[in-house]
Amino acid sequence: MKKLVATLLAAAMAMSLLTGCSGGNSGGNETASTTAATTAAAKEETTAAAAETTAAETEAETPDPDTIAVMVPPVTGDYPELMEKWIAEYTADHPWITVDLTNTSWNENPDKISTMALSGEAPDIVMNDFKMLGTLVEMGVAVNVADYMDPEALADYDQNALDYLTLEGTLYALPLYMTIQALGGNKAMMEAAGADVEKIQTEGWTWDEFLEIIKNGTVKDQTWGLTFASAGSSTKDFVNIFGVAAGINNDFTPSLKYAYTSENMKNLLSTVETLVSSGYMPNYGVEAGQRLVMLQTGQTMVTGKAMPLFESNVKNNIAALADGSALEGTVEDLEYVFLPVPTLENVQPACYGIVDCLIPCRNQNSTDEHLKNVCDFLNFLTSGERIAEVANQVYLPAVCESGRKAQEGTVLDQSDANAAASERCLGLVIAPPTGVTTEQSANADTIMTEVIVPKFQALIAGETTADDMYQAICDAAFAAFGEDGCETGFFTY
Amino acid sequence: MNGLYSLHLHNPRIRLLRNTLIAVFLITLASVVLFPLVYMVAWSFGPNREMASSSYSIFPRVWTLDSYKAFFAFNENSTRWLYNSFVVAATTVISNVVFAGLGGYAFAKIPFKGSKALFYLILLAMMVPYQVTQVPLYILIVSKFKLSNTFLALILPGSVTAYNIFLAKQFFSGIPSALIESARIDGANQFRIFGGIILPMSKTVLAVMAINTFMSNWNTFFWPFLVTSKEFMYTIQVGLKTFRFSNGTLLSPMMAGATISAMPMFVLFFALQKYFLEGVTIGAVKG
Amino acid sequence: MKKKFRIKRDDIDGYLFILVALVIFSVFTIYPVISAVITSFQNYKPFGSEWVQFDNYKTALSNSLFYKSIKNTAVYTLLTVPFSLVIAFVVALLIMPFKKKTQSLFKALYYIPAVASGVATSVVWLWIYDSSPSGLFNQLMKFLHLPMQNWLASSKTAMLSLIIMSLLNGQGSSIIIYIAALLGIDTSYFEAADIDGASFLQKVRYIVLPLCKPTTLFLLVTGIINSFQVFQNAYMMTGGGPDNNTTMIGLLIFNNAFVYGKYGLACAQGVLLTIIIAGLTAIQFRVAGDDVEY
Repeated sequence: MKKLVATLLAAAMAMSLLTGCSGGNSGGNETASTTAATTAAAKEETTAAAAETTAAETEAETPDPDTIAVMVPPVTGDYPELMEKWIAEYTADHPWITVDLTNTSWNENPDKISTMALSGEAPDIVMNDFKMLGTLVEMGVAVNVADYMDPEALADYDQNALDYLTLEGTLYALPLYMTIQALGGNKAMMEAAGADVEKIQTEGWTWDEFLEIIKNGTVKDQTWGLTFASAGSSTKDFVNIFGVAAGINNDFTPSLKYAYTSENMKNLLSTVETLVSSGYMPNYGVEAGQRLVMLQTGQTMVTGKAMPLFESNVKNNIAALADGSALEGTVEDLEYVFLPVPTLENVQPACYGIVDCLIPCRNQNSTDEHLKNVCDFLNFLTSGERIAEVANQVYLPAVCESGRKAQEGTVLDQSDANAAASERCLGLVIAPPTGVTTEQSANADTIMTEVIVPKFQALIAGETTADDMYQAICDAAFAAFGEDGCETGFFTY
Repeated sequence: MNGLYSLHLHNPRIRLLRNTLIAVFLITLASVVLFPLVYMVAWSFGPNREMASSSYSIFPRVWTLDSYKAFFAFNENSTRWLYNSFVVAATTVISNVVFAGLGGYAFAKIPFKGSKALFYLILLAMMVPYQVTQVPLYILIVSKFKLSNTFLALILPGSVTAYNIFLAKQFFSGIPSALIESARIDGANQFRIFGGIILPMSKTVLAVMAINTFMSNWNTFFWPFLVTSKEFMYTIQVGLKTFRFSNGTLLSPMMAGATISAMPMFVLFFALQKYFLEGVTIGAVKG
Repeated sequence: MKKKFRIKRDDIDGYLFILVALVIFSVFTIYPVISAVITSFQNYKPFGSEWVQFDNYKTALSNSLFYKSIKNTAVYTLLTVPFSLVIAFVVALLIMPFKKKTQSLFKALYYIPAVASGVATSVVWLWIYDSSPSGLFNQLMKFLHLPMQNWLASSKTAMLSLIIMSLLNGQGSSIIIYIAALLGIDTSYFEAADIDGASFLQKVRYIVLPLCKPTTLFLLVTGIINSFQVFQNAYMMTGGGPDNNTTMIGLLIFNNAFVYGKYGLACAQGVLLTIIIAGLTAIQFRVAGDDVEY
């Protein structure tokens, strides 16, 4: 009992000490920025001590010690382990650098970045897709990468990938890889439905051909011609991937006008309306987790969204037949084919792409010297053997010259036809225009989340018409961008 | 039990029939409520590889311990996370039971100046959505107090919650004031009254508070996720989600993780079980 | 006229009792709240915010989705909170006639599902609501010869689906709170009622309900607060749902703060939400009568 009282007293004292602190700080947000700088100072002291011994050995030329904080989700299965290996390699060559690695989870990674960035405490390097850049620029924590890097090192990267990471002409991140998202199919079923699969994989297909094939492939109460996961938040995939079919590759046209108010969108919406009522596709929302199951069990002929990487899922499941843990009803000889999206009339073939990237961020201890170190390490992570290893795991070619060179000789567990199809699609990706402002990008995100996705769900459920939906998008877009800021005619790239 | 129900002493068969009907109803409803749990435990014994969620069956076709083995093998810190979670949840429970208990009693039974205003202030603070208070709290804990990766950062923000103060106040307000008045006339001060009279008859509500607080802290993910960056300071929820145990397509490892993290809750629930059943015998005290 | 200020014994006792709670609360709850209120008048940037007076409030109030989300949240709250209370109360009441051992068993059965993690639960519910013929509810509909439903994907059923899920999920802690209250009722009340020949329902109506009022008020107030702040279910299950029919105000605030980086606007919406909840809570206290004395 006495012990308990003592503990409680100690706790109470600790509490009162803490409040003493806060009393002084209650001034509000302005003080936050000044006080936090001391954390950095304290941190540096400890690392300085650690680095001292090595610094003495490597002569006076050695730069000041510096700590780089990195926060990444498991980009690939063993990314955390790989990261530690690379950090060891890098710090061996740069003994004055200490890297502070934090692993996060996929789903909550963006929320943690936002909270930390809003607090002025963002890690020096974070990982996300290119859509996050607008938010970070808006918050004033994004860093102009070109300011801190050799133009030579930058020249290593594909321009197309860099364009994704550029807002109003400024580059804010370096690419990890470019994922392509399109459709996947059951080869035998498609051939039975009269499709020339090889031709589709190498040359693409028109919308009419596509309709014909999924119509032939539909067997009532047994197999759907097409199953696209569109339930809940996966509706966005439907909009993005089939947007490409209508020639909408990005939120904005090359002349920086909003694209979802265009004639192209109108065409897309009425096409989707007919597709929904056609009976070749489920007239209910399919969960993202189910689409691959349906493909593997022969319940659908074509599915989406699909990536080249699904080939390995399909193979693993067939291999699991051996110990009986495979899906019930698995099609034993299923050959997975990665397919491009069909194209509507007058539209040039393209593919929807997303660039995942590492983003340098500004925080309380960001000096020019520090940012230079950060960008150098960033470049190390996104080039050469490091990026080759990541790219191999996601079945994609790297998006920088040095990475592709390091990838040479590795053979992916992938059919030649799929490899060729994914390479073709990768070449068809059209990056967003680089002149988009952060305000445009934020408004486009808002309209996508608050108007297009919810209306599209209603369209798929047959509860609204294409015309109503088009009108709703125009209303919201005209209010956000002005009528001049929206493309209302037909456009091409 | 406590006189609410007629015992039908004259006809035990009626009582048996009534109780059976009630039991059937309760079991039916419980089986619906228990469904996710059964599913979670069953699939934790499924194969340790990628699977689309559910694949439409309640039980896996092949039962293995692979996912559990994977859990203990995949990170040297897995047991440390359980320990961290336990420290955080247990400390939070103690401070809530003590301080929210004291506070709730004061708001219910001590007529001090400003008590109403303060109580409504506490309620009001509870109504502000955490989405907007999270950033200032993060700045406070991480930038000002420099507490990231410490137990204090994990414990302090939840160490006394408005919810528990309110719960305690509502419970204590049900205790007859006459009881307290008579003790005061006998010369006891408020602390003695609280310790000697009120506490012994409040075991039930304090146990309820303890289990609820423990559970919400044990299951909390986002705050510990924000303020920890070193693996050895993760709580179990952060550890599970940060690695492959949260990937929706790795169904069985995810369910195994969820099952392991639920285990201590079961233990605690049964340990506290006897307090949940203790009725209050105010009548005896009142005399 | 000057009233003499006197400190009474009760005042000292009162503040001693709440001291620690108040200190912790001021630092870790009140301070962030005040900070958020201040931010609601700013165009917030971590390195240099600007004061924008009432701009965030004007933006919030001129957005039609803001009103729609409040309406959705209100509908959701109106249909979940009262029914949850009824379910919890009835279950707690029905557990009472059994022997101690059986009571424990039922309490465990109803409480333990709450320990299943949110992710595990949502995986199961996604299957239950799967709109394909293999979804659990759709199999049930087929069995009952009813038409299949597009549960989460149709604006007719999306909100209903979220409500059913909330009702069947997690009444565990309300149930044990009610049980604690029921056990707290002094047996002598029932003995007196038995002498008057009161029926079971009369006992519930005239003894149990009035004596459980503080508990009911607690569950009602906290239930409404939680329900108005809810967004996880919509976020994970429907993403806002067809035509924004399940967009909750909490989701809107979350998106503004963490997805669009408009933290100032999020704070303004948060303050407006707080005002709404505070108004509702004030009404509940007014109706219930603040304190119940015996």
